[in-house]
Amino acid sequence: MDFGETEERQALRTAVAEIARSFGPAYYAAHAAERKPCDELWAALGEAGFIGVNIPEEYGGGGGGLTDLALVCEEIAAQGTPLLLLLVSAAISAGVISEFGTDEQRKTWLPGLAAGTSKVVFAITEPDAGSNTHRLSTTAVRDGGGWRLSGSKYYISGVDEAEALLVVARTGEAGPKGPRLSLFLVRTDAPGLARHLLPVDVLLPERQFTLHFDDVYLEPESLIGAEGDGFRQVFHGLNPERITGAAMAVGIARHVLTTAARYANDRQVWSVPIGAHQGVAHPLAKAKIETELAALMTRQAAWQHDHGQPAGESSNMAKYAAAEAALAACDAAIQSHGGNGLSSEYGLMPYWGLARLMRIAPVNREMILNYVAQHSLGLPRSY
Amino acid sequence: MNIVVCVKQVPDTWAERKLKQGDATLDRESVDGLINELDEYAIEEALQIKEAHEGEVTVLTMGPQKASESIRKALSMGADKAVHLIDDALAGSDVLQTSYALAKVLENIGFDLIVLGAESTDARMGSMAAMLAERLSVPQLSLASKVEINGTAIKVNRQSEDGYWQVEAQLPAVISVVEKINEPRYPSFKGIMAAKKKPMQVMSCADAGIDTSLVGLANAATEVVDFTERPPRQAGTIVKDEGDGGNKAAEFLVTQKFI
Ligand SMILES: Cc1cc2nc3c(=O)[nH]c(=O)nc-3n(C[C@H](O)[C@H](O)[C@H](O)COP(=O)(O)OP(=O)(O)OC[C@H]3O[C@@H](n4cnc5c(N)ncnc54)[C@H](O)[C@@H]3O)c2cc1C
Repeated sequence: MDFGETEERQALRTAVAEIARSFGPAYYAAHAAERKPCDELWAALGEAGFIGVNIPEEYGGGGGGLTDLALVCEEIAAQGTPLLLLLVSAAISAGVISEFGTDEQRKTWLPGLAAGTSKVVFAITEPDAGSNTHRLSTTAVRDGGGWRLSGSKYYISGVDEAEALLVVARTGEAGPKGPRLSLFLVRTDAPGLARHLLPVDVLLPERQFTLHFDDVYLEPESLIGAEGDGFRQVFHGLNPERITGAAMAVGIARHVLTTAARYANDRQVWSVPIGAHQGVAHPLAKAKIETELAALMTRQAAWQHDHGQPAGESSNMAKYAAAEAALAACDAAIQSHGGNGLSSEYGLMPYWGLARLMRIAPVNREMILNYVAQHSLGLPRSY
Repeated sequence: MNIVVCVKQVPDTWAERKLKQGDATLDRESVDGLINELDEYAIEEALQIKEAHEGEVTVLTMGPQKASESIRKALSMGADKAVHLIDDALAGSDVLQTSYALAKVLENIGFDLIVLGAESTDARMGSMAAMLAERLSVPQLSLASKVEINGTAIKVNRQSEDGYWQVEAQLPAVISVVEKINEPRYPSFKGIMAAKKKPMQVMSCADAGIDTSLVGLANAATEVVDFTERPPRQAGTIVKDEGDGGNKAAEFLVTQKFI
């Protein structure tokens, strides 16, 4: 068994960190406060080829795998500049188009995604079908060679930054294996698509939207992969989303723990630095352990995905562990900072908000526990 | 065109840098090593010259095993190959000896243009370009903030405090560059993946024809006789503004001879 990281991966970490560091936590905090996308960071990473690491070389990507993409997600977050849209645009959309797209579709979409000049975000969540994808009601019906799409989605991140959406829609009645779902690429400026800002109170640079599709016409080439095979295809994208989400959470935890350790070494209230008090040190140490454990599981999940092995269980476990570790780390870091922990100046709250989101999305903690109870332990399905 | 960039690995300027108690040489083990900042500008300039005129960029580094990290970074930025001069006999060499050793390698591998950063962040001698030029009997064009090459003619803007000089020479030549010259690129993903496959030649003193009795700490022309650690930072003076804060701040600056 080899737990070492190749020289290339170490170099990748250093190079990504160097770019992210030149932006840094203050940049992130300012963009989060203004709800303004971190375009400059995205562009810089794209230029160096780090946004498209997992896209095949013939379409302008780096020809690497999910392990590389997860490492990028972790490292930029560890510099205090997490990019939420990597989880959807790079991990899901680019992955699904690379895997299931036609050559034409790949040629159309992948080079821009690889270069970081365009984004394709992901729309699955609906008001009446949250964690339960079986109840998705957004529907595409045949219209000549193309399709007509109707329905609503909500909480869709980054629609304002994206060229297109990867939409999960129903294309027929449910069969024994679940609903007939299909995947469509829908341009964000398509006639009949309306979007409304959905305000959330966590500080994120990325904005969320409610979407209404009113008989939106989709060209025949909008369909990705096989009609009705969307369920399987989406699942191909969801593990990467969980893995990169876990990696981002690990990065956030690393960042806030480093920040907190520095503060706890400097800040002196009585006769010793506050870090000498176990009440301060132990929660940070505990979060550090949880973070490293989550990082290990994240690496394993990415490795399994890259080697074509079943990665569902490990992806879920990694995402669960990393979100919990990031929340514990943020909480301990904020507590170590006392009042400063809540200040804008120290900028910790945006990370707490993002970590808190990671307990809910892309899949919530309870659904992961359901999965593990049922699939790993063989307990009865509870819902 | 055969361009050689001399790249030095230096201790991270943000880390606490120390001299070793025994031989007063720099403690390179306990801190992260980085490419000397100005050398990144040198690499960038070499790459831009290559992109505009064709040719090949070779990275030349003298240093311990650890320095190979810096070589790999230079290769991942786009340099074509590397030469690593590594030999225990070289440890503790001063600038005169280092210039001798590098010149030996340069004579071996050949060059049309040698590019250096104007100084290193650790020793800060700023004299390597001059010494190499002298040893190799080629012109030096130092402190370049702009480089133009036309055939075998090279023209640089040589930065000075109040403007620049235009200096011209014929290749082969040595140039040293200042920060103003360009914006060094970051290693790209493809560059990183390709770096390991690029040729890296490891040379010892014997390989390069370096006389080991002329190099290393024991034979250095200069010697660090003694050093003291920087005193810990003193607590600052806090001036409380009770209407006369400006005067008090000014008084303080006068006592410190700042104004
Ligand atoms: C900031 C933000 C960004 C988002 N970005 C996107 C995006 O880009 N694209 C996208 O498609 N979606 C996005 N989402 C939506 C997100 O993926 C969903 O909110 C998430 O999957 C949970 O679904 P839900 O909100 O419908 O919760 P529900 O399914 O309504 O669940 C509510 C809660 O009930 C519990 N619960 C539900 N079912 C069970 C069960 N069977 N057993 C036990 N407990 C259960 C869980 O605790 C859960 O948290 C985003 C959400 C937010 C807040």
